[in-house]
Amino acid sequence: MRCNFRDMEHECVVILPAQHYCEKGCVRREGSEKKYQRKMFEDSFPPAGIVQREEASMEEAIAGHCQGCFNLADVMYFSKKGCEAVAEDEVTQRFSSEELVSWNLLSRTNADLHHVSWQLTIVWVVGILIRYCLLVPFRVYITLFCEQLHRNENVCMSISYRIKCWLSNQVQMICATLGVRCVGGLVHFHNRENKPRGGGICVANHTSPLDVLILASDGCYSLVGQAHGGLLGLIQKSCMQTSQHVLFERSEMKDRHLVRKKIREHIADKAKLPILIFPEGTCINNTSVMMFKKGSFEVGGTIHPVAIKYDPRFADAFWNSTKYSMMTYAFNVMTSWAIVCNVWYLPPMIKEEEEDAVHFANRVKAVIAARGGMSVLPWDGGLKRKKVKESFKEEQQKKYCQIVTENGSVGNRNVC
Amino acid sequence: MGSAHSVPAEMRELADRTGFTSEQIEHLHRRFKQLSQDQLTIRKENFDSIPDLEFNPIRGKIVHAFFDKRNLRQESDGLADEINFEDFLTIMSYFRPIEMNMDEEQLDRFRKEKLKFLFHMYDSDHDGKITLQEYRNVVEELLSGNPHLEKESARSIADGAMMEAASICVGQMGPDQVYEGITFEDFLKMWQGIDIETKMHVRFLNMETIAHCY
Repeated sequence: MRCNFRDMEHECVVILPAQHYCEKGCVRREGSEKKYQRKMFEDSFPPAGIVQREEASMEEAIAGHCQGCFNLADVMYFSKKGCEAVAEDEVTQRFSSEELVSWNLLSRTNADLHHVSWQLTIVWVVGILIRYCLLVPFRVYITLFCEQLHRNENVCMSISYRIKCWLSNQVQMICATLGVRCVGGLVHFHNRENKPRGGGICVANHTSPLDVLILASDGCYSLVGQAHGGLLGLIQKSCMQTSQHVLFERSEMKDRHLVRKKIREHIADKAKLPILIFPEGTCINNTSVMMFKKGSFEVGGTIHPVAIKYDPRFADAFWNSTKYSMMTYAFNVMTSWAIVCNVWYLPPMIKEEEEDAVHFANRVKAVIAARGGMSVLPWDGGLKRKKVKESFKEEQQKKYCQIVTENGSVGNRNVC
Repeated sequence: MGSAHSVPAEMRELADRTGFTSEQIEHLHRRFKQLSQDQLTIRKENFDSIPDLEFNPIRGKIVHAFFDKRNLRQESDGLADEINFEDFLTIMSYFRPIEMNMDEEQLDRFRKEKLKFLFHMYDSDHDGKITLQEYRNVVEELLSGNPHLEKESARSIADGAMMEAASICVGQMGPDQVYEGITFEDFLKMWQGIDIETKMHVRFLNMETIAHCY
């Protein structure tokens, strides 16, 4: 096993700041009291992870010594990559709540409770009293009122159809606004001139069912989404009575074709409400935008992108459906400080002629991520529930084979 | 508020043994909880949720290495069914880079440990020797993705490598001598003078922030 290795990098432990901070006003000092301010989340970078990965590709790392030859040390490269993947990976962290730089006084976001100082404890206890004894009853009262209003929406059958539609839309928006207040929502809408119109498809990044409520408080949409059971199912059923929504089962292939057909029919009629779709297909934790499924980008029509970004300092809006049921999530949201979020309506986009649906989807995704200050990931949100396809693994193996065997044949100097 | 999750004395002991800082340990603990889904131990199935790992051709061997009792510094042999956080950290510590303040003896021990980890990865039947069959297994796993490469070619690569190893370790062999397998001492001999530290380390960032910015 005689081979000359090229030194890959310096063998020194690099001490790097683990987090990048924004330009103004971020001071973090070591010691028992860590106090710092953070500027608006739009300017902050996501915290770096624990592993610094090499920039070198597989070819550079392995084939550095001799091309076309197998080496015992190649196993080291793969075992190192394996260890890095176990220590940290880009994807699984998106399916759990974002880790906060500073604690927002909600015990659910502090994974390892430990005592810092008695002053902080007092503040935390006062926070609990305010949230559970003051905010929650108020919010529950509004929820009940809102639910009454929603139930009585279908009254007054004798009015003309057009007025009834308009009235129904207004009541829906009022209900949604009240619903937003129920959860303590404070929403800032930007660029209202780009609001979606009839016959268009509105796409947004998905963090929780609250996205629907927030968008519905500013406009009326036809929804396309996964049918749920439980509390969310009941809400969906009651919504179905007042507007045309399309609900389907994620796992049903037949359903998907049907959905595409229905969407096509719907957008052909400009008088109908715009369709609201979340192309990620599942809830992501609002730090990044994952792969947009190409289905909605194939049907044609104008796409109205919307970026939604929650402020994690006041609440954790992400619904981890594998961990919490809807009831638990609703309770968590109601007992948080507030749901503060920014919604940006982005200019409409149309698929170009030579462009394919995947490329168009990526283009829209990049625009949304840039506006919301989130990173872009090419991975499929479906990995929350499914495993990676075998074909991806085989690609990597093929690549390694090419390095080792030099044009597919085993040469004489195959071992070094 | 609640009590600390790890008592400081335990944390210090872990830090001394594995060489990670306490902040790195906390970070890795969170990762452990994520992988174990808030249980106290991890099983093999928990590694299925990591997409990046799926790409790795020797994924099976890497997961196996986490549960290999020889790597967990236990005197016993065989495979554990589940590992706790301490074991998890122990395996991770094999991939730590060398530090500037290590002396000769520490460096030597460190290197030996890394090579031992690698040796265990090859030696799947735990008999202390890498036989020709075990070597072939590893090569086949690495090269299995290529549809054009037949099993025979992978086999010939492995055979060639074993012959090379034999010549380093045993010298010229007679025609009726059989080379049983690479023992750990032979393995060390093969790697003498070759720098493995840069190949087999993961850069764990120091999580203590010392950045000030205004």
